[in-house]
Amino acid sequence: MSRGARLEAVGLLTGWGEGVAALPADARVTAAGRAVLPLARPALDGARFRRATRECLLGVAAVEAMLREAGIERETIRGSGTALVFVTAAAYGASNVEWLAGQAGTLHFPYTAPSVLPGEVAIEFGLTGPYVILIGGPTATVDGLWQVGRMIATGQCQRALVLAVETFAECEALWRRARWTLPGPLVESAACALLGPGEAAVTFHARAEATPLERSAEARAGCTMACAPLVALALARAAGQEAALVSGTWRGRTAALELAIAGRPVRA
Amino acid sequence: MVVVTSGSRPSARPSRSLEPVAIVAAGVVTPIGLELDAFWSGLLAGADGISAIERFSVADLRVGRGGEIKKLPAVALGVRSRAEAMLVAAAADLQARARLDAAPERIAVCVGTALGGVDELDHALTGDAGARRALDGLYDSPGHALAAWLGARGPVVTVSSACASGATALGVGADLLRDGAADLVVAGGYDVLCRFVMRGFDALRSLARDRVRPFDRRRTGLLLGEAAGLVLLARERDVRGPRLGRLLGHGCASDASHVSAPDAEGRGLEAAIRAALTAADVGVDDVDFISAHGTGTVLNDRIETAVLRRVLGNRSGAVPVNSIKGALGHTMGAAATLEAIMCLLAGRDGWIPPTVGFEEADAACDLDYVPGACRASRPRRMLSTSLGFGGCNAALVLEAAA
Repeated sequence: MSRGARLEAVGLLTGWGEGVAALPADARVTAAGRAVLPLARPALDGARFRRATRECLLGVAAVEAMLREAGIERETIRGSGTALVFVTAAAYGASNVEWLAGQAGTLHFPYTAPSVLPGEVAIEFGLTGPYVILIGGPTATVDGLWQVGRMIATGQCQRALVLAVETFAECEALWRRARWTLPGPLVESAACALLGPGEAAVTFHARAEATPLERSAEARAGCTMACAPLVALALARAAGQEAALVSGTWRGRTAALELAIAGRPVRA
Repeated sequence: MVVVTSGSRPSARPSRSLEPVAIVAAGVVTPIGLELDAFWSGLLAGADGISAIERFSVADLRVGRGGEIKKLPAVALGVRSRAEAMLVAAAADLQARARLDAAPERIAVCVGTALGGVDELDHALTGDAGARRALDGLYDSPGHALAAWLGARGPVVTVSSACASGATALGVGADLLRDGAADLVVAGGYDVLCRFVMRGFDALRSLARDRVRPFDRRRTGLLLGEAAGLVLLARERDVRGPRLGRLLGHGCASDASHVSAPDAEGRGLEAAIRAALTAADVGVDDVDFISAHGTGTVLNDRIETAVLRRVLGNRSGAVPVNSIKGALGHTMGAAATLEAIMCLLAGRDGWIPPTVGFEEADAACDLDYVPGACRASRPRRMLSTSLGFGGCNAALVLEAAA
């Protein structure tokens, strides 16, 4: 068993484009008043995806982006040695609204469950290891990073994916009601972090306020909810940092942890 | 009253061996009992909590029955969201049995749910245009509301591993303690019976037309129920006084085979069970009793039986296996927590509740399903299994208090 875990790569898709290079210097200014910056439905091949929702496909696309970033093949993550932790605050909203509107067919109902998005990802990449789904904003993603750090350190898996997906377009009217609670603009995002064994433990930090990295991620990307800590990690990795103190704030709680970062980014 | 001493220092890094976690006390609200003692009495008596649904229209559905709670306890009156109200009711029952004796910032909440606040989303779309109702539709809203009600200011975690949520929430809660992120964790699961989910399972034709018959030859499907179950978790070394038992291990695994059906071979479930036994450092020969997921669907019960037979080996006929979904319906996010509580009460009192609805054996389901009436037996170590949409599988290994 390793002593801890470290970040190997982050795949990042946002309403701004792929990777940190696509992020503007100031999301609020660049959004120019747009409330939601959408992500297009990925064009993935295969009859298996004919019923899959846009958010499911974004999850698959985020893992593919991570594989490109890490420079590894699908086979590397296949099997029971890879844990999958999925986090979202709101990606189930679109399918739920569609079901409630009575417009969806019978076979759509399972897609209302938040667990079906990672289920599609697990099927696509053959992930049969430990499997946890957390609901919430950035704090839940920090919790998820801690959880996989623990899984790796205790030998429950050799590597882990922390996947976060957020979509807002279909529920824009609902989000507008709550706009006073959100920094905006709402930027649809899908991000996947790959963690592997490392020497340093993934440790929780008690914090009352956001780290500079969290503020930077929000300024650059906008409001990406559960994806925000992964945006922050992508920024830290692109900057060549060897470790990152990443935090997330949601519903009045700030969670933070320190995570080692492996190597240099393949692409900045 | 149980006293929990708090203040253990956080560990600097994750421990490699699993520290025992005490399950100090429990609180519930269910269709067969609005608090723990009534729930337990109902299970032992073979109570049937299934009734005609009254709270919302089911006139256009094939099946209009379920495990509906007709009247919530007074403590929950005035709470706007039904999910929050059920959590408050279960928490009040829990607090009547154990004090949350720790600093607020050292108390965590970790709850599992399949549906979260979806009933509120329905209200937000169809009538209430307020911002708060829209936010209540988020699946983590009830967990945060519970934390606020309890005055807990530590981590608030919502797990949504579909119908395995109530097991994984206990596992994650235990890890929060082991890593020193909290000194006490209120963990469990909940879900509301609402039109959203009734219409879904009705459309999938997964609902039984008569009654839930887990493992029975005549089983035709599940019926849904609503409930909340919570336990108070603490590090074993911090607890002074009586407790219900211990959570020894948790395992979870993905099927990676289908978004809504279980893997045909039950490979993910078997992996979760073996992971939980390994985490608990418990051999299969030490398992005295199994609380099965046992939904009453043709597929689940056959696959689950085959997995348990493989895991138990030559002891497969000797270990009692029950399902309480015949009594409660499938309470989704609450199910695994209620089943864990049931296991510990069985160990405490020396009685295993029967599988309500099981009457006629099926050649494909050939384990000892505790038919008819409760059985005098005092299991010490127990296994509880759960499955859910998205290929979710989870297992818990529990130990009754000595």
